[in-house]
Amino acid sequence: MVKKIKPQRVLPGFGLSMGYTIIYLSLIILIPITVLFLKASTLSLSDIWQTVTDDRVVASYKLTFYSSFVAAVVNAVFGTLIAWVLVKYQFPGKKIIDALVDLPFALPTAVAGIALTTIYAPNGWIGQLFEPMGVRIAFTPIGIMIALTFIGLPFVVRTVQPVLQDFDRQYEEAASTLGANSIQIFFKIILPTLFPAILTGFALAFARALGEYGSVVFISGNMPMKTEIVPLLIVTKLEQFDYAGAAAIASVMLIFSFILLFAINFWQWRISKKHQVA
Amino acid sequence: MGITIEKVSKAFGDFAAIKDVQLEIPSGDFIALLGPSGSGKTTLLRLIAGLESLDSGKILFNDIDYSNKTVKERKVGFVFQHYALFKHMTIFENIAFGLKVRPFKLRPSNQEIKERVYSLLKFVQLEHMADRYPSQLSGGQKQRIALARALAVEPEVLLLDEPFGALDAKVRQELRHWLREIHEKLNITTIFVTHDQEEALEMADTIVVMNQGQIEQIGSPDEVYHHPVNAFVYRFLGRVNEFIDSENEVTYIRPHEVVLRKSAQGNSVPAKVLHVHSVGSLVRIQLNRLDTNALFEAEVNTEKYQEIGPLKKGDLLYATFSNLVAFGNEQKEALTAIL
Repeated sequence: MVKKIKPQRVLPGFGLSMGYTIIYLSLIILIPITVLFLKASTLSLSDIWQTVTDDRVVASYKLTFYSSFVAAVVNAVFGTLIAWVLVKYQFPGKKIIDALVDLPFALPTAVAGIALTTIYAPNGWIGQLFEPMGVRIAFTPIGIMIALTFIGLPFVVRTVQPVLQDFDRQYEEAASTLGANSIQIFFKIILPTLFPAILTGFALAFARALGEYGSVVFISGNMPMKTEIVPLLIVTKLEQFDYAGAAAIASVMLIFSFILLFAINFWQWRISKKHQVA
Repeated sequence: MGITIEKVSKAFGDFAAIKDVQLEIPSGDFIALLGPSGSGKTTLLRLIAGLESLDSGKILFNDIDYSNKTVKERKVGFVFQHYALFKHMTIFENIAFGLKVRPFKLRPSNQEIKERVYSLLKFVQLEHMADRYPSQLSGGQKQRIALARALAVEPEVLLLDEPFGALDAKVRQELRHWLREIHEKLNITTIFVTHDQEEALEMADTIVVMNQGQIEQIGSPDEVYHHPVNAFVYRFLGRVNEFIDSENEVTYIRPHEVVLRKSAQGNSVPAKVLHVHSVGSLVRIQLNRLDTNALFEAEVNTEKYQEIGPLKKGDLLYATFSNLVAFGNEQKEALTAIL
């Protein structure tokens, strides 16, 4: 009789580790989100519809998604640039700059918001330079985008950096022996290799920006229909003890975010699947 | 295309990788740069390709100074040890790359590119692989595609950096023959780097033996194997026994040149068997000279082994060393440096 030998795994048993994963995700994510939807469903359908399609709410959805998207795109471009500088060049103070990148993670967002407002306000250090040109930064959507860019910066840098570090010079060399110039090497060889990582960083920065509250409320000025973000409206509803209304707005936000992130992840999966099969 | 390397030197920091190298490569030659790691062979290849810049000296292609030309301008085909296929492109796109990056005026039409890629795929016998990604290919297939990609731009020089270094023994053997055939068909100047003396002897028309950034010998496989100019070349090109006599003079003999008999004859030396192992059609015997106590190895074919054997540890044999080679004492320093 041949006895089947079970392949050795590092963690004991699929059952145990999967069970743990599900309980963990339930306690931390699934149950709170379910309660959110349950709370929203205490309203009648017409009430929900009325709450979530209110002009002021719709304006805040548009603003939140638009400014989060712009901030994530800016981070994708400049985060990649920072990662490039940190990997490809040696210069004094490199370690310090590397550490600075993580600062937005560590700083309380309210502190970041107040600091940004102070310098970008019309009489602030940077704000006063733009004021004569008729460009206002604080208390406009531009200010919101700056705050969201600030808090999303580490994501792209930290996802692109390791990929760039592992990128073998031989690919650039191969391309140059085949007659490619530096622009072609960057766009045809390096960028496609980095793209899945940039997309991951973009998705993380985008997701982070959608839910950001602390840093934005100071710099946005919170003008209804103009500079009100969704998280602010939710907090406003909570302060008025309209818990169900807050939950309804939050649910819509959640569904949109989920669809977007799912689409980005699917896209990213498709790209990396293409050339990573074993 | 003929290549002339004139007094070329290159250092990386304090390490002199190439020291004052002089080399003339005739057009259409198939040449091996052979040497141990750190001998500068890969650096020399990369200097020819333009992937490294010269510290001093000149590199001429067909008597025109190419020293300051960029990689792109040199129009060389380069094959890397680890293939360097672009992972995000299909095999087709990989081979087409060199044609597609050409400036608009020089770029062939899509139809021409397609025809060229397919004829190259046919040439490397991998037509059915066009739509695959590099990760779906075996090592040997990848290296064939890498060669097809290098040939797509119609280079006048083909440079290969340890092209079979990452492959297993059987595939390596196949690809050696195949590369040799390809060179015969295309007849472009081909330079390859290897640390495997067998590979160099088997494939190249000319072997350049390198050591510590300098050329030790240039010659046909026959010349470098049978008429090595110094101990380094002799040692590097095959298995070797080394004896030091009472005057401290070093002499060498290859294991297959040692003659073993069961009885004493002429100036034979008694020796004790230490170990016997057969490698395919050969038997290698480790022995201990009873007169000087030196260890040495003998290599005999299975027929000869049946004459003197079967042997076991402790058996007594008589060895004749008739072809001892000496290079004089001045070589000893160089020798100890590599040991």
